[in-house]
Amino acid sequence: MASVSTAVGNRSRTTTWLLRILVVGYLLMLVAWPTGLIAKNTFEDGFGGMQRALEDPDVIHALILTVKVSVIAVAINLVFGVGMSLLLVRYDFLGKRALSALIDLPLSVSPVVVGLALVLVYNPRYGWLGEGLHERGIDIVFATPGIVMATCFVVLPLIIREVVPVLEELGDDQEQAARSLGANGAQTFWRITLPGIKWAIVYGVVLSLARSLGEFGAVKIVAGRSIGNMETATLLVQREYQNFHEDVAYSVSLLLVVASVLCLIVVAILRPSEGSHADPQKENK
Amino acid sequence: MSIEVRNLNKRFGDFVALDDVSVSLPSGQLTALLGPSGGGKSTLLRIIAGLDSADSGSVSIEGTEATHLPPQKRNVGFVFQHYAVFKHMTVAKNVAFGLEIRKRPKDEVVKRVDELLKLVHLSQFSHRMPSQLSGGQRQRMALARALAVEPTVLLLDEPFGALDAKVRKELRDWLRRLHDEVPVTTVFVTHDQEEAMEVADEIVVINEGRVEQVGSPDQLYDEPANDFVMSFLGEVTHLGGVSLRPHDVEVDAAPTAAGSVEGTVSRLVRIGFEVRLNVLTVDGEEVSVVLTRTHARSLGLEEGSTVFLTPADGATVIPRMVAAS
Repeated sequence: MASVSTAVGNRSRTTTWLLRILVVGYLLMLVAWPTGLIAKNTFEDGFGGMQRALEDPDVIHALILTVKVSVIAVAINLVFGVGMSLLLVRYDFLGKRALSALIDLPLSVSPVVVGLALVLVYNPRYGWLGEGLHERGIDIVFATPGIVMATCFVVLPLIIREVVPVLEELGDDQEQAARSLGANGAQTFWRITLPGIKWAIVYGVVLSLARSLGEFGAVKIVAGRSIGNMETATLLVQREYQNFHEDVAYSVSLLLVVASVLCLIVVAILRPSEGSHADPQKENK
Repeated sequence: MSIEVRNLNKRFGDFVALDDVSVSLPSGQLTALLGPSGGGKSTLLRIIAGLDSADSGSVSIEGTEATHLPPQKRNVGFVFQHYAVFKHMTVAKNVAFGLEIRKRPKDEVVKRVDELLKLVHLSQFSHRMPSQLSGGQRQRMALARALAVEPTVLLLDEPFGALDAKVRKELRDWLRRLHDEVPVTTVFVTHDQEEAMEVADEIVVINEGRVEQVGSPDQLYDEPANDFVMSFLGEVTHLGGVSLRPHDVEVDAAPTAAGSVEGTVSRLVRIGFEVRLNVLTVDGEEVSVVLTRTHARSLGLEEGSTVFLTPADGATVIPRMVAAS
């Protein structure tokens, strides 16, 4: 406690408590209580709602689709995210700042707009690219690839924004040393660069995964009105809720919340280990 | 000649880092690239290592044309100012890196790492992480890592620049001894003329992207090619149109020597056995002079005394013309 009062300097005890109550109250009203109510409503009549939800083939299908889309989107984002981070930090090229700004676009643009934009390009009937692809039997929009693309767009900055600062702080000294010791580009990446940004990548992946599982707006547009086979968990929640199947809606919502909380717990466990070296105790003789 | 550098040019935007540099660095010796910060010496070293590329010119290492070889194909050991240790590997793993990349047999790697750690006095730290080592230990580890691959040349970029004065001096002596034990062609960059004079067999003085002079420490000190080299290697003062060292100025109380310059002592500082004078000559020049305390006392010097100055016999003297640059 002593350390806390030093940290806030000579501010009075009352102010400190007032600020605390304010912050805790804000979070409670905005986040904890509503989320908690979902759990309460889910288990209002015991496990019945959850059971009904998990017996519904639509729900199962939606959950599987959500997981599938998320995993694919995160995998793609992992490759491009790490690649682009390296490009942004280690190389100089024309338009680098423009690219860097563009990467933040998904954070500022509404996902609905993203969905609409994708539909315009890949629409099988009048889309700029979609028509040609449709003729060759490839459907993007109103199909899984479109949902994956929309999710990729939304999670694009999450890995890059984690990895870039770590890469910058790491510097390229170690990479140059590896090169001078005979390592080629690939060896340098796997043995030197990757271990250095490992935790940033893991953190970025977990964030991306949490974000992918919960994406709604963009997916809603690109999934189209084809109910059932292109319905992700979030879309299902909305439909079930509107059709007064609140128990199913609450149950699936809770599953989504649990998945996100798990992601956050993983992050919280990983965060402190960042920077500190693996078992210095073990290394001491 | 081990490293041949021909007509090297390098610009960073408007800044000319290297301006038509040609130099030969001898085999088996310890060569220092000496010069002020920003003079281009590190750039030269990095181009030799392949970590930077020149705009034009060529580099050959032990007779192999290396201008366009990537760093990993040059067989060059490089030691960085800030150690560039692999933070996530133990000391032994750091040293083994180059050997593992070369896919040497495991037992050979272990043996070689042991030898090298012994050489740099880090055997007991082989299982530590680099974060548990001091700066000097990290740099010794980096040196062992660079030596592990048996490089044709060893390049060190301000290797002791980030260390404190005491460790610096220790490592300097140690590097000299190491080089006598393992006589690999070594080039190191420094801006510390004392370090260069003490350690190197040969010194290349580099300033503003150009090579000013190449020679042994004695040659450089005794026969500096120009005012810059002379002033970079030690204190310089000017007397009657020539540059010379303050301790090479002869002081007399009477105009005995021909061509002596008359002046008045404007300041006198005693530091231990040494006395430093500022003499204002009748020509309006301010000359600094260093002499022993005994000598000063025998002349009865004090502030305001009239003295007569001449360059001492055998003093290193160069015309002052070049000083303008």
